[in-house]
Amino acid sequence: MKKRSARDTLIFMLLSAGSLLFLLPLWWMIATSLKSPQEIAQYPPTFIPNTFHFENYIHTWQAAPFTLYAFNTLMLAAFAVAGSVLVNSFIAYGFARIAFRGKKFWFSVLLATMMIPGFVTLIPQYVLFSKLHLVGTYYPLIIPQFLGSAFYIFMLRQFYLSIPRELSEAAKIDGANHLYIWARIVIPLSKPALAAIAVFAFNGAWNDFLGPLLYVNDEVLYTLQIGLQSFRGSVQTQWNYLMAGSVIVLLPVIVLFFLFQKYFIEGMNLTAGTKG
Amino acid sequence: MKTPARTLTPTAPKKKRSKLARREELQGYLFISPWLIGLFGITLFPMLFSLYGSFTNYDVTSRMDFIGVGNYMRMFTEDPLFWKSLYNTLYYVAFMVPLTTIGSILLALMLNERIVGMRFFRTIYYLPAVLSGVGVYFLWIQLLNPSTGLINTMLGWVGIPGPAWLSDPMWTKPAIILMKMWSVGGGMLLYLASLQGVPSQLYESAKLDGASAFRRFFHITLPMISPVIFFDVVTSFIGGFQIFQEGYVMTDSGSGGPMGSLLFYNLYMWNQAFQLFDMGYAMAMAWVLFVIVLILTLINLRMSKRWVYYEGGED
Amino acid sequence: MRARPIWHAAWLTMLSCMLLLTACTPESRSSSGAPTTGTSGDGAAQEKVTIDFWTFWGSETRRPIIEKIIEDFNSSQDRIVVKHTYLPFGDIWTKNLASIAAGTPADVIVNDYADVNLRASKNQNTNLTAYLQQDDIESRFYPELWNNVLYNDEAYALPFNTDTRLLYYNKEAFREAGLDPEQPPQTWAELEEYAQQLDKKAGDTYERVGFYPLWGDFGVDSWLINGDAGNGYFGENDETTIDTPGKVATLEWLKSWQDRLGRQTVDAIKADFGSGVSDPFISGKVAMYIQTGTYNTQIEEFGQDLDIGVAPIPEREEGSGHWSSGGGFVVEIPKGAKHPDEAWEFIKYLTDVDAQKYWAMENFDNVSNIEAAEDPEANKNEVYKASVENLVNTKVFQVPLSASGYKDLINPHMDAVFLDKETPQQALQQAQKDVQSLMNKNK
Repeated sequence: MKKRSARDTLIFMLLSAGSLLFLLPLWWMIATSLKSPQEIAQYPPTFIPNTFHFENYIHTWQAAPFTLYAFNTLMLAAFAVAGSVLVNSFIAYGFARIAFRGKKFWFSVLLATMMIPGFVTLIPQYVLFSKLHLVGTYYPLIIPQFLGSAFYIFMLRQFYLSIPRELSEAAKIDGANHLYIWARIVIPLSKPALAAIAVFAFNGAWNDFLGPLLYVNDEVLYTLQIGLQSFRGSVQTQWNYLMAGSVIVLLPVIVLFFLFQKYFIEGMNLTAGTKG
Repeated sequence: MKTPARTLTPTAPKKKRSKLARREELQGYLFISPWLIGLFGITLFPMLFSLYGSFTNYDVTSRMDFIGVGNYMRMFTEDPLFWKSLYNTLYYVAFMVPLTTIGSILLALMLNERIVGMRFFRTIYYLPAVLSGVGVYFLWIQLLNPSTGLINTMLGWVGIPGPAWLSDPMWTKPAIILMKMWSVGGGMLLYLASLQGVPSQLYESAKLDGASAFRRFFHITLPMISPVIFFDVVTSFIGGFQIFQEGYVMTDSGSGGPMGSLLFYNLYMWNQAFQLFDMGYAMAMAWVLFVIVLILTLINLRMSKRWVYYEGGED
Repeated sequence: MRARPIWHAAWLTMLSCMLLLTACTPESRSSSGAPTTGTSGDGAAQEKVTIDFWTFWGSETRRPIIEKIIEDFNSSQDRIVVKHTYLPFGDIWTKNLASIAAGTPADVIVNDYADVNLRASKNQNTNLTAYLQQDDIESRFYPELWNNVLYNDEAYALPFNTDTRLLYYNKEAFREAGLDPEQPPQTWAELEEYAQQLDKKAGDTYERVGFYPLWGDFGVDSWLINGDAGNGYFGENDETTIDTPGKVATLEWLKSWQDRLGRQTVDAIKADFGSGVSDPFISGKVAMYIQTGTYNTQIEEFGQDLDIGVAPIPEREEGSGHWSSGGGFVVEIPKGAKHPDEAWEFIKYLTDVDAQKYWAMENFDNVSNIEAAEDPEANKNEVYKASVENLVNTKVFQVPLSASGYKDLINPHMDAVFLDKETPQQALQQAQKDVQSLMNKNK
């Protein structure tokens, strides 16, 4: 017992010390967001603002139609989360748990699609969506979310491969098909991994900048990240507003992560899983 | 590597086999069909287009004439910046992949403990992975300041004179690797999720057998999370070769840093494609990178048979 | 199953989003889109044409200015409606390229001077010769700027704004150092002399640095122009003029500043200000600083009590010329634009006196239209006036097409000089050789 708590204290101290370093940038963002422009220009930079300008946040939010942008971004993120979690786990199940001819080939193709830098496919991709008359809408951003992403499929496949086979064999012998096994056995068992994907997908869509910028033509459909850029001019950057905006944009991400945590630490408890 | 023994017998009764196998086949394709639709509908055309483009003088807006292997010849024989950018990228990948992998595993292990405030710690350590944008880079410029920055101040406490991180071409890449180390939150999250899959019974029986914590880690934890380590390593390689943002922001809009020491492969490719509109050349560069990453991944795959353990069996 | 509620929630969100999406998208598409019929007031059932105008002017200061100009244009006639779309700086051109490739570009876009010829050679912008034959407006513009929109002697864009670099100096610091605040340095020798008097050291560290040539907005490239009698890297006939005695001397001189201050000091201060957040001149850490004309608006905003003066960039020696460097932006019609004729009407308006004068007055930004730039009202502002006067000394260069990408070859050699790895002589010699071989290859 005593040994245990000494070890815990050590880990606690280590983590606390480390977290200071990890919190620095966040503090720097918050401090900058509360400063006056005059104070930001000062050297050396002040660690704690001399005066706190909370009104920067209100000003930031009103500088552009951010409420609209937040709504747009949230909608895209919701699609990304729903699509990524459902579709990728479905596809990954096929790659991990079903034996079919050509699987190795298709899986190699899947890996290969990750290896081509996106820059060179950007233009043909844009032209393709343009020919489909989808440029100017959200569809080029949403449709791919429902057709699987190589990264998530590969990741989930790795998780599914480590789920003991006897868990599904029993159900199979009882006549259950793969759809049933996927929905009733594998998904509940892979909650931590799916939670991770939900977080990744949310962040990805929430912070995506180039995607909406390319495919949306009307400012009415802009997202938060594009809105934030308006504080960065070609000549001059409004640091306090840019940072205030960044803090606002970051908040939902932190809250979401904090809430989703319980799924990461929820053990799979394998024996109970089969009785599901 | 020793692995917990389990018997795997995924065989069905013999007489049903062919019918079952056909059904399996069909279901397999059903499951991967969304991805197949995406592949043929969206992904494949741009990829093949860029492959063809790499054999042309494509400039996006005025021409696309077949020039054979001209781009490839130029790259290998007359473009010193190609080699420089490849060297910079290899240097970065060689250090970044092992360091971030080990870093995120260690972090995940610590954050998997059940002690006070763990929810907060996890959130804090994950933060850098989602903090994107210019703010972070500017913070690092301050942290890496040779005389007043925190990093060199700390090095000074132990008597090491810190280098001029971002202006000395010797130290720019280590500085970027250091930055990357700090945002291991994404990897940490993966390992945290995979640690949940290690059945606690395994630890308990090992403890009864008197195995030390050290032994338990190497004989239970590591094999059980090895599929995710494999995933992390492979995708880190792929992502590492595509490093772009850091080189772009830290070096005055893509100039490549002191003496081109931060001219990474993708940065150089970007400049070719979108500054000089030499898209054919950029496409050729992309496919050379593809081959390099492919070879490394194949080596990885081959070696993975020796160290990756799949509890559910990889048929 | 415990997992169920999550999935229900997920499906519900998705469904409601689908509904929202189908409800939203077509509406916003029609509001953005196709020609709308103008029925307001004028009676004539004439089709109004909507043209798309993409800029990166989305900040709170710039956006109202450009939108006021657009509004004025829209109400000045009843045939064309301009729709403004903000796209972030830099990325705007990525989207431009993609949309030209897809055949759906904007009708007018703001773009960089530097590569008008490159874009023209790649068929990305529209040749304006036919329009210019109808309305000859070439004489509106500064000839230096006009040269930069030409490709094979034909114009592919119209100059919109420009900039020039000036020496800002802190009058308070001048007084403190016993210098006459009305007598800024004229030559390099004076600059050095002043700088040393303005240096303020406490022990080993500098409390104030008088001047360092490479901080601020005047890089090695610009100094090489200044020190080489206004000549850039390329001559009239696209010959390389990199390795010249003037440039060698200039580079040696630049290096001597670093030697005097010490590389460590220079690196440290550069790192402090490298992020562009805090400003060394406004915070009094540097007494003389080279910046563009619009920098003055930042001083007025962030450093109210700063007493400053401006002067042309000092010349190498008396009579060699106070050469400065400039840049700026053009307006052009992307190739494949749906309404090039209407777009021409609009860019003509954008570069005409009224619009240009408004832009100059509101921004104190240098404009390309001579009459607007020299308008007495705007010139009441002293720094603006100095920047307009400085335009005669300002060089804006077009890069020969065969040398595209030359900077990647020159920069490492310049860095090598400041890292003591090459002498200025070697660096320029080698840079010239590298660029020459690039140009030979591309010819």
